[in-house]
Amino acid sequence: MDSAPNGERVGPGSGAAGLPLPERPARIDSDRSRDARRSAIAVAGLGIAALGLLAIVGRALQRSSPSTAMAGKRLSSSGARPEAEDAPDEERRPTVAAARRLNRAAGILAFSVLADSGLEHYRGAFKNRAMFVAPVVSALTLAISAHGLADARPIVHRLRHVVYALAGLTGLGGTALHVYNIRKRPGGFSWLNLFYGAPLGAPGAIALAGLLGYAGEWVRGIPAGPGADLFGLPAGRMLAGLTSGGLLAVTGEVWLLHFRGAFQNPAMFAPVILPPASAILLANAAVRAKGMDRWLTRRALRATALLGFAGTGFHAYGISRQMGGWRNWSQNILSGPPLPAPPSFTGLALAGLAALGLMEDHPDA
Amino acid sequence: MPEGRLDRYPGYDVLRKRDTPSWNDVTRRVIDARLAISDRPRFLSETDWATLQAICERVVPQPPDRPAIPVAALVDDKLCRDDGDGYRNAKLPRLREAWQRGLRAIDAEARVAHGTGFVALDGDAQDALLRAAKQGDLRHPAWEGMPSDVFFDARLLRDIVHAYYSHPTAWSEIGFGGPASPRGYVRMDFDRRDRWEAVEAKGGDEAEVRRRNQRVG
Amino acid sequence: MSDDPQQTPRAKDGRAPDVFHEGGWIPMREYRETDEVDFVLVGTGAGGGTLACRLAEAGFSVVALDAGPYWRPLEDFASDEVEQNKLYWTDERICDGENPLQLGSNNSGKSVGGSTVHFAMVSLRFRPEWFKARSLLGYGADWPLDWREMWHYYREVEQALKIAGPVTYPWGPKRPRYPYRPHEVNAAGLVLAKGAEALGIDWVPTPLATLSAPRGNSPPCVYRGFCTIGCSTNAKQSALITWIPRAIRAGAEIRDLAMVGRVETDRDGGRVTGVRYQREGRWRFQRARNVVVAGYAIETPRLLLNSATDRWPDGLANSSGLVGKNLMVQANQAVWGTMDEEIRWYKGPPSLALTEHWNYEDDGKDFFGGYAIMSQGPLPALWASTQAIDRDLWGEALIQEMQKYNHQVGLKIVGEMLPQERNRVTLADETDQYGLPIARVTYSWCDNDHRLIDHALRSMTQAMQAVGARELWEQRNDTCHLNGTARMGDDPRSSVVDADCRSWDIPNLWICDGSVFPTVGGVNPSLTIQAIACRTGDRIKALAARGEL
Repeated sequence: MDSAPNGERVGPGSGAAGLPLPERPARIDSDRSRDARRSAIAVAGLGIAALGLLAIVGRALQRSSPSTAMAGKRLSSSGARPEAEDAPDEERRPTVAAARRLNRAAGILAFSVLADSGLEHYRGAFKNRAMFVAPVVSALTLAISAHGLADARPIVHRLRHVVYALAGLTGLGGTALHVYNIRKRPGGFSWLNLFYGAPLGAPGAIALAGLLGYAGEWVRGIPAGPGADLFGLPAGRMLAGLTSGGLLAVTGEVWLLHFRGAFQNPAMFAPVILPPASAILLANAAVRAKGMDRWLTRRALRATALLGFAGTGFHAYGISRQMGGWRNWSQNILSGPPLPAPPSFTGLALAGLAALGLMEDHPDA
Repeated sequence: MPEGRLDRYPGYDVLRKRDTPSWNDVTRRVIDARLAISDRPRFLSETDWATLQAICERVVPQPPDRPAIPVAALVDDKLCRDDGDGYRNAKLPRLREAWQRGLRAIDAEARVAHGTGFVALDGDAQDALLRAAKQGDLRHPAWEGMPSDVFFDARLLRDIVHAYYSHPTAWSEIGFGGPASPRGYVRMDFDRRDRWEAVEAKGGDEAEVRRRNQRVG
Repeated sequence: MSDDPQQTPRAKDGRAPDVFHEGGWIPMREYRETDEVDFVLVGTGAGGGTLACRLAEAGFSVVALDAGPYWRPLEDFASDEVEQNKLYWTDERICDGENPLQLGSNNSGKSVGGSTVHFAMVSLRFRPEWFKARSLLGYGADWPLDWREMWHYYREVEQALKIAGPVTYPWGPKRPRYPYRPHEVNAAGLVLAKGAEALGIDWVPTPLATLSAPRGNSPPCVYRGFCTIGCSTNAKQSALITWIPRAIRAGAEIRDLAMVGRVETDRDGGRVTGVRYQREGRWRFQRARNVVVAGYAIETPRLLLNSATDRWPDGLANSSGLVGKNLMVQANQAVWGTMDEEIRWYKGPPSLALTEHWNYEDDGKDFFGGYAIMSQGPLPALWASTQAIDRDLWGEALIQEMQKYNHQVGLKIVGEMLPQERNRVTLADETDQYGLPIARVTYSWCDNDHRLIDHALRSMTQAMQAVGARELWEQRNDTCHLNGTARMGDDPRSSVVDADCRSWDIPNLWICDGSVFPTVGGVNPSLTIQAIACRTGDRIKALAARGEL
């Protein structure tokens, strides 16, 4: 949405991110270079996104059949990973497997953020240069996640670590900017500005991508066997808690936007019911005693993952219901329901599944 | 004439959007028909037409460097269709009658004051006469009791200005987005334009703005 | 052209246009003119369209006539100010008085759906006290209605139109949440918001009868900005696309291009028997057990006056002598200015933000009544002629001024004007294309109107200055909306109809539109007209059940 502050030009130096404001004529110039920059970033971003997505989807497809079988066998809590039977030894290490699943989750989240922030910040005409940060960092996060997914080594990768940390910080900074944008609009923290100002919850998605990836890197470095922990806490449980919180936060954002849409289609209730239900189940799994039966949690998470993709389908239908439908795409892509937003749920649900896996692979954790 | 007129939207032509989702079929039909109106009278007599043309040049002067909007023809078209407003000040006769009477009266006033028709006066004299009409100071018998100020506001200004700003050339001149259906707008905030809206020049950047405006569509 | 809806009726042969599909049709029940239908309604706008729906849904046989064409917005509405003149009542009317009104595009529709086809969609409730303006506030007249009952019907209309409004409303008694969320506010509206905040008063995104999310066959608003010349998106919840399709589904018949010239009475004048109307070049008669006149505040009195008989020489329902009197428009003054920022007010509905502060705050007023301030977004031809006429700008000065179009902003009021008997609709000597005497509309502002306008111009100037608008100028000479001329009341001597919109003189003659307003308040009237129509529908049903029709 429109996250460029309006008051930005009342005086020099009052830019949202403390950016110096060019003089008037220069602004047109910067408009021009902005055009060029936009195109360059769009092309680069799309390129990276395509590569990343190909890698992730390719990987996912490669293991799709075994991993569906995975659920049923999880209870046995045998250290062996069914989907990696023919892989080299280290790739069987559950921490590596969990880490790569976290890479995948972070990648999908990053993809969602890349496309969504790209579109929304384009809608906001990139009025503030800080608006380029989210698409650039999410593109990097996506690329690095693809790299992590392809990497079977049980070694923490410094660059990935840095990029994930950067994504986390971007989410924090973005949230601060979005809060600033809302506060200075007429009405301040009003429903109207929550609906149409810079979306409060959106930067949280890239923060989550960063956190999940970052955690993944730590998990990857944990030695095999029982007792995997992260910062002194059991890794699986901690991840489950984090993912659960993330699911609830994204649900909050979805509720806000679907409330803005007056829940005009009953399907709009699905993403405010299923994901929080999974989040509660996951949180429950995180705090309950080990060895409990988690099939319901897993089912719910898997359904949430599917809902993410189904959501994009629903949103595509929603765009067709706007005036002019897909023929009027140049408006409706921007003003209709956001196509790339729903897969955030897929990313988080996959992270939740990874956390469950970790908890089962390290049952005493 | 209008030298040094600031062109805030160089290169912007609202007609470039004709075949985009901003125009629907009925709009294309209507605007095509308006653009096809030729610059000659269908309702008014030649004399009245000449007076009307001269008045239009004073009320909405046009630059020489672009095809002129046929303002008088658009007013004549309204008269031809007898496309009234649905009400009239009790001091005025109906649309057609008011225009015919008003044009003849203005011409008659010119002849009384200057010994020549309105068309032959220079711009300043024409303006002075129109200002007198606006003040309600004109009382020639040709007005037949119609107050010149009421005619000036309710018919002359209203219909001429309306005609000028119902033409796509005028829309381009002021940077108006023009027809918008099925596609409307997305960016609503201060200092925002959708990419199918005119770019405004801020001074010194005309060449660049012209280039960008040629891509608007 | 055979498919010109202005020349050839579309609603006939058992079908009516499907407003949601180009070239589409929906089945429609037809009555014979010799059938004595339960209700014939004259007019299908906010009053008639709504009541036709409610009566048909209550099981009555209903025929609703409209002088205007039956549009399919998707195929008929151009994005063009001149072409869309076809939506307005452009038959001749004569205006006089100290402040002659502007009618036509300003406030008078001629279409199936009436003025709701071109209204600005602002959907506000009355302040409760206004229903008892005389007893509680000391001016005008009391309504025979209770605000709590109206609150119920407002709710019903808001639901029926899926009004998009703010989540909470800062003025007046608590109201339920609007069914749809508010629209994004454009720059023109944000100027109002900033101005209100600078003055320390509340503002809200305007409750609008245009969708902020899809509904059935209607997509949400695309912010194209041509709202007041007809919505070609079908996001606008006009009577044409809401009440009327519902009415037809419930068995009502709509007859377009049907101009009613006379309401007929029986031999002794005690009851009406039907209406005489012209359609397809020929005068016809539709029999009916009840007639509802819903032609808005000029055509309604004109029809009643044109229906005079020996028994009712001053016109029908006019034993009080009040038919045509107490015409009320609303003050519609503006303060305009120019901003450094690009505003581009042509985007979005014209009034996306408003403040009702001066409707609810009585301190500091030297006048009766109140006003709402709204943001504005006039289209080029209207804006240019406003500047030409009200600022005396023409020649190079006008052309130069119009170059600022995308930087201009304005605030405008909808302000209460007081009822005066001298403001009235009478019959002129001239006749129209049907041979019927046309309306003469006489209007003069009173001192209170002037004081309200002065107050409003001061507040708006303050707000505009506070947001840094330059080159401010006041537009004094404008009014909007039409009400009164057949007021409702408790006493047959001082009103034309009772609380149920039933005429005191003739029990089967009803009036249901803005004409029945005893006062106008400082908000746009359409929501109240529709609420009254819903109430009238319920009352008729109740009366019928008791055998009192």
